[in-house]
Amino acid sequence: MSMTMTQKRNVFSVFRYFVLTIWLLIVAFPIFWMVSTSFKPDREWFSWPPVYITENATLQNYLTVWTDFNEYSTNEETKELGQYTQSLQRPWEALGNSTLIAGIATLLAVLFGSVLAYGVSRHQILSEKRMFQLLMLRMVPPIVLIAPISLWYRQIGLLDSIPGLVILYFLTSLPYAVWMSKSFIDEVPREMEHAAEILGASRWRTIWEVVLPLVRSGLVATFLFILILTWSEYLLALLLSKTDVLTLPIELSKYQGSTEGRVYGRQAALSVGITIPLVFVGLLIRKHLARGFSFGMVRR
Amino acid sequence: MTATTLNGQVDPPQNIKARKGREANKAQGIRRFKWTVLSPFLALMAFILVPALLLQVFFSFFQFSIFDAGDSDSFMAYFEASEFVGLDLFIDVFRDNRFGAAIIRSLLFATGATLGCFVFGFGLALLMYRPFRGQALYYIFFILPMLTVPIVIAYTGEMILYQNGPLNDILSRLSGLRVEAQFLYKKEVALTTIMALEIWNWTPFSFIIMMAGLAALPKEPQEAAKILGASKWRIFWEIQVPLLRPVIMLALILRFLEAMAEFPKTWSLLQGGPGSATETIPVYIFLTTWQYFDISYGAALSYVVLVLMMGIVMAGIYLLRREKKSLDEMYMAKPSEG
Repeated sequence: MSMTMTQKRNVFSVFRYFVLTIWLLIVAFPIFWMVSTSFKPDREWFSWPPVYITENATLQNYLTVWTDFNEYSTNEETKELGQYTQSLQRPWEALGNSTLIAGIATLLAVLFGSVLAYGVSRHQILSEKRMFQLLMLRMVPPIVLIAPISLWYRQIGLLDSIPGLVILYFLTSLPYAVWMSKSFIDEVPREMEHAAEILGASRWRTIWEVVLPLVRSGLVATFLFILILTWSEYLLALLLSKTDVLTLPIELSKYQGSTEGRVYGRQAALSVGITIPLVFVGLLIRKHLARGFSFGMVRR
Repeated sequence: MTATTLNGQVDPPQNIKARKGREANKAQGIRRFKWTVLSPFLALMAFILVPALLLQVFFSFFQFSIFDAGDSDSFMAYFEASEFVGLDLFIDVFRDNRFGAAIIRSLLFATGATLGCFVFGFGLALLMYRPFRGQALYYIFFILPMLTVPIVIAYTGEMILYQNGPLNDILSRLSGLRVEAQFLYKKEVALTTIMALEIWNWTPFSFIIMMAGLAALPKEPQEAAKILGASKWRIFWEIQVPLLRPVIMLALILRFLEAMAEFPKTWSLLQGGPGSATETIPVYIFLTTWQYFDISYGAALSYVVLVLMMGIVMAGIYLLRREKKSLDEMYMAKPSEG
């Protein structure tokens, strides 16, 4: 018995929705669980059977994570005085640092990267081979150099400082910045630049006033894309800064080792706070994500 | 700027001379531009990475431990407290079974995670690349995992995999038995569990790359094959897959390299345990340097890993370069609509 084309198509359509919906559940469940746990009171964090949607929803986790800094402080004195700077939990500072470090490093990488990309695109100032070698900055795992870097940083006073992290984030996101912005610059027609050149504009003026404005939306996408990567970085932040300068992923990891045992509700509340900006930014540039992750080699 | 030979007239000799001069000027201008642009980058490399590399060389030939430096905080104390040991540390590295096991574990982890991401990502992309109702909504949901912070995934994963957590609850309800599986703290499954988290995290990467690749495929060869009566299966294997090869290679290579360096999830959940079940290369280096404070052995390990990874990365880059050419040709043939 053979099926008609329409029947075949219907069978395929049902099959497709079935598979996609299963994957949707797999993808959505952890996110749902994170959000749902963040509203649970502490007695429901570990209960059996687990509570899926709490009936006693509370904002306590959010309030504690963002306002009660001494909840897990082991230092009694600090606890009594309510001292923020010495307490274990310093979420606002972490938020500020994360924003500052990721923001500055990304901005520098995109500015520098796009000018370099212009030079490569228009004047081949780096050969194709060099361009691929640049990728190594990203592809060789940072763990192999982090120990001597931390010793060196200690010597030159960059350990546990904002510039120290900015420099390394700048270097490691440079390959993405150059390659991604180059893929945008390659797509812009050159007539305008030639016109500017003939009118006597200097090279820098041509770059600032003609080329970069033409690829503005591409550069914004590049900026936001690299922001996602630097915002979530863990290893460098863990090893090169911790006590003075801490970032949000490190702040989150403190809850894991806290003396009170696991505190799922608090972790979840902080996780939601860290994730929301990234999801927002990521969805904003969803059309450019493939280009970003593939160093501009795949376009859409 | 004076008028040149736009209308094709033959240049008088003095014009040729002037043009040659201008070209030389231009080349010089580009050279100056090149070094102006590159100088901050090169300065940073010289100031940060080169000293670090030199220190790494030093410590891998001179035995040194943080404890030897005593209370002194000064840099020079490190050098005074260290002792030349030649290649001893490297010989130790090559005899280190724990290191060998870490390499195998990393390779297993990276291969498994890469293939997992690819199979799921490509499968979903094949189901989704033609327009259908709800496509945009599914797409948005499917890219969410790669927009979450790895360490958030690690901790959320732990909540779900916890012995009294929802996964065991769901399994219990489905099977009718009380399932109390330990996904993280059992030696036999720990690495697989981390791999599953990695696959959950990065399937979106393969998915978006393959979606973009499928969207860019030329329609004509497929339609021609269809008219000639080729089956869907044959069209897939003999037309789509070969055309997609550069994109497939890209998805595999980039993911493999990232998975070799995976650290946040492995470290924050298990620190290499239980036993040494999740002790991958990055975790082993981390433990050696920051838990055992054996800076010198860590440096020698790092050097061997650096060489090993450079080899893998260079092979990857070689393949990428080859595929980039075919990719560029693909986009040349079909200008992007976006």
